[in-house]
Amino acid sequence: MSEESFLTDDFLRQLMNVGEVDIVVGLPTHNNAKTVGPIIQTIQSGILRGFPRERTAIINADGGSRDGTTDLVRGGSIGDVGAKSKVNALRTLHSISTDYSNSSDDSNGAAFRTILAAADLLRAKACVMMSPESANIEPEWVSKLLRPVLDDGYDLVTPTYRRHKFEGLLVTNLLYPMTRALYGVKIREVFSSEFGFSSGFGSKFLEQNVWDDRTYTGGAELRFTLAAITGKYRVYQTFLGDKMHVERRGAELVPALRQTVGALFSSLGPDFPAWSVADFASAPTNGSDHQVLLDPLRVNRKRLRAMFSTGILELESVFQSILSPETVAELRRIADMGENNFRLPAELWVKTVYEFAISYQKSAINRDHIIQALAPIFRGRVYTFLTENRDSSADEVEKNIEALCLEFERMKPYLLQMWKSIE
Amino acid sequence: MPLDRDTLWYKDAVIYQVHVRTFHDSNGDGIGDFRGLQSKLDYLQQLGITAIWLMPFFPSPLRDDGYDIADYHSVHSSYGSLEDFENFLGAAHDRGIRVIIELVANHTSDQHPWFQESRSSTDNPRRDWYVWSDTDTLYKETRIIFLDTEKSNWAWDPVSKAFYWHRFFSHQPDLNYDNPAVREQMWQVMNFWLQMGVDGFRLDAVPYLVEREGTNCENLPETHQVLKDLRRRLDENFPGRMLLAEANQWPADLRPYFGNEDEFHMAFHFPLMPRMFMGLKLEDRKPITEILQQTPEIPPSCQWSLFLRNHDELTLEMVTDMERDYMYDSYAASKTMRLNLGIRRRLAPLLSNDRRRIELMNGMLMSLPGTPIIYYGDEIGMGDNINLGDRNGVRTPMQWNGETNAGFSTAPSERLYAPLIQDPVYGFPAVNVLRQKTAEHSLFNWMQRIIAVRKSSAIFGRGSIEFLYPANHRILAYVRKLGNDAILIVNNLSSTAQAVELDLKRYKGNILIEMFGKNMFPRVGDLPYLLTMGPYQFFWFRLRRV
Repeated sequence: MSEESFLTDDFLRQLMNVGEVDIVVGLPTHNNAKTVGPIIQTIQSGILRGFPRERTAIINADGGSRDGTTDLVRGGSIGDVGAKSKVNALRTLHSISTDYSNSSDDSNGAAFRTILAAADLLRAKACVMMSPESANIEPEWVSKLLRPVLDDGYDLVTPTYRRHKFEGLLVTNLLYPMTRALYGVKIREVFSSEFGFSSGFGSKFLEQNVWDDRTYTGGAELRFTLAAITGKYRVYQTFLGDKMHVERRGAELVPALRQTVGALFSSLGPDFPAWSVADFASAPTNGSDHQVLLDPLRVNRKRLRAMFSTGILELESVFQSILSPETVAELRRIADMGENNFRLPAELWVKTVYEFAISYQKSAINRDHIIQALAPIFRGRVYTFLTENRDSSADEVEKNIEALCLEFERMKPYLLQMWKSIE
Repeated sequence: MPLDRDTLWYKDAVIYQVHVRTFHDSNGDGIGDFRGLQSKLDYLQQLGITAIWLMPFFPSPLRDDGYDIADYHSVHSSYGSLEDFENFLGAAHDRGIRVIIELVANHTSDQHPWFQESRSSTDNPRRDWYVWSDTDTLYKETRIIFLDTEKSNWAWDPVSKAFYWHRFFSHQPDLNYDNPAVREQMWQVMNFWLQMGVDGFRLDAVPYLVEREGTNCENLPETHQVLKDLRRRLDENFPGRMLLAEANQWPADLRPYFGNEDEFHMAFHFPLMPRMFMGLKLEDRKPITEILQQTPEIPPSCQWSLFLRNHDELTLEMVTDMERDYMYDSYAASKTMRLNLGIRRRLAPLLSNDRRRIELMNGMLMSLPGTPIIYYGDEIGMGDNINLGDRNGVRTPMQWNGETNAGFSTAPSERLYAPLIQDPVYGFPAVNVLRQKTAEHSLFNWMQRIIAVRKSSAIFGRGSIEFLYPANHRILAYVRKLGNDAILIVNNLSSTAQAVELDLKRYKGNILIEMFGKNMFPRVGDLPYLLTMGPYQFFWFRLRRV
């Protein structure tokens, strides 16, 4: 199998010692020493509560941590060596680690690929991916993400969360509505760091010969969701509760866009036969498919608008290569608006995104530049969303997101029309 | 063949547990007896065992299979006479086989004359031989052992118009060990049988001898003092005889029963047994190594007694609730297989008659630190009958051949003390001694061989143990050592083939000699020692420096 070449001998030896399992818990890390210990304890607690009899291994794919993350992972095994653990566990619960940073691909996708390969080699029935940065992970999450796979035969279980209304704006303003409109399946978190899946689906995805494409591997988790949809695998959503991240440096927009929007755009080509004819469906959901928190939150909107206006001005020549003249003109008009009137309406936002997707498909300019160019426009959209929903209730926020989804759906023919013209 | 004179003989022993009633019937009344048992001593000698543990054979109403004794100084008429017993004892000794008998010291039958006297009047000299009370509220913190049948540890005696204390069935009143006369009497019972030549006693239910308010009435210091007194008198009068404790307790609570080599010589390791089954089912050594890590060191002259199955249910008292649920689901799916807190099944049915698993379990039994006890019939893979009540399903007649009554008795089959196993898999036409003795690869012949290999080295009975903890948790590996000699034991608990790397650095330069085939394996070098093992396979290697 192709995955054998990228797994180190040491990792294979560890896998050999683990042997066949029922469940793999995948944990990608990079310098997460501050959080990984408690997260492993929570995962173990979830396993011991929900699956005390199942053979389980925690597989850590690490991107070259220098803070002792991998030592903490390895030390987390529940076994009999030295009788360290006071945990009352029926069987050994391995926690093993491998460093993929020396491989040719050091993206998150490489970590995911490593975990998929490990699950495949260990013949796991089900696998769950957990984030090393979730500040409020609960033991129940493990069961919630695995039970539908093990008990009900679902192939992919994606989470839904209780989020602040201004959190996850890339999801609510682009990823969710666009994938829903194009692929026809209502999946709230198409790009999540926590999800469960079946061995059959995981192995099939692993076999796809796309792992050398960095654009692809960078957003492998999103591509994984899309593959479940296009492959007509059974998808389920489960409500996990609050989603909080550990404190981290300011989230960097461009890498996030690369990883998510880049992956989505790059999928549109191979997935065209599927999304061009998709009927609308809704993934069954356990619990709420979303919940909104309304606590006050300080956001520097002024800066967002400024970055939008500057971006439109500075990147005009780039936009001319990407967007239609009408769209460029409209964006320029908005950029000149005063703060009180500034608004990037849904219709223009959707049209812009679709034109970016077409341009990406045509590779009108370097694809990475296309993704970078989306950043200022997205900021304008965020400004608009924040302004429109500043005093909105949870229901009103949801209504606005739903309206945006409908806009993406309404304009899908526009995308299809452009797509056909480039074929 | 003379008896081994070593006073530590029990450390090297391979013990065979049998009820005289079950083994062979010499007079055609449908019940096994001492003459019948004596006639089968050659079979036991051929198997290779070195000691027999006899379940109670004393006069008794048999409401608890003889653990309800009505006379400590005689033999139940169904099993023969005292003379028959003496003849059997002599014949066993002639073959180098020692005999251990039961001492049910905690309680008697309610039919015992002592109890009859005790209940007759509060003025009777034996009134204080039992534990009487006007109320049933004393010792409330004491658990009930036979949960399925008993609601209280107190029973009302309408004759005496008082409550009496009983830890087991209500027809088994507990003796009062606060009374010196009871202690003296129990020594006299021991003395009686020791004078006759028995080699040791298995003391039944020892944690419960003494009661104290505010305690759980188990493992009390006063109980230990009673036992120490018995041991002192044993050593003074009969050196080289042995006491074996039945105390179903956690290892740390068992340790005091060895005292400073002044209490018991041996004690059953109850918590290990269910964990061997658990480890096998889980395909994970963790339950086994964990309980052995919790097992305290014992004095040099003392020994653990290990077993896979016995006459009782596979007790699950010494496991957690989670472990008990797992064991029930794994080994007793049908509720009829469960009794009290345990599973009333024999070894072969528990292991689905899988020869590889039966061999592996026996391999561990023979190689872990302690003296192994084989339950009669398990050496040929006898089955059980869960349709019989209580624990009688594992106490059916021994299957000697495929003929009438399995060669056990010439009585009409309806007169047998219990029906024979008849089912197609375990029934006597399929599973019997005669058939297995003539089949080269039978379980009996394999058992004979493993016992012989165990007896070829004192390490198994007397050596220390060091676990290796290879990264592959399906492999249970340990080194037994005695002086400069060492044996490496590697068990694959998995149903699939496994590779394992063993850290044998400290044995660098040794070659490995597989003890069954005597073949050489590669010399130990600097690298981890790689072994590949088939499903449920085990190896015993003698480490030899050449």
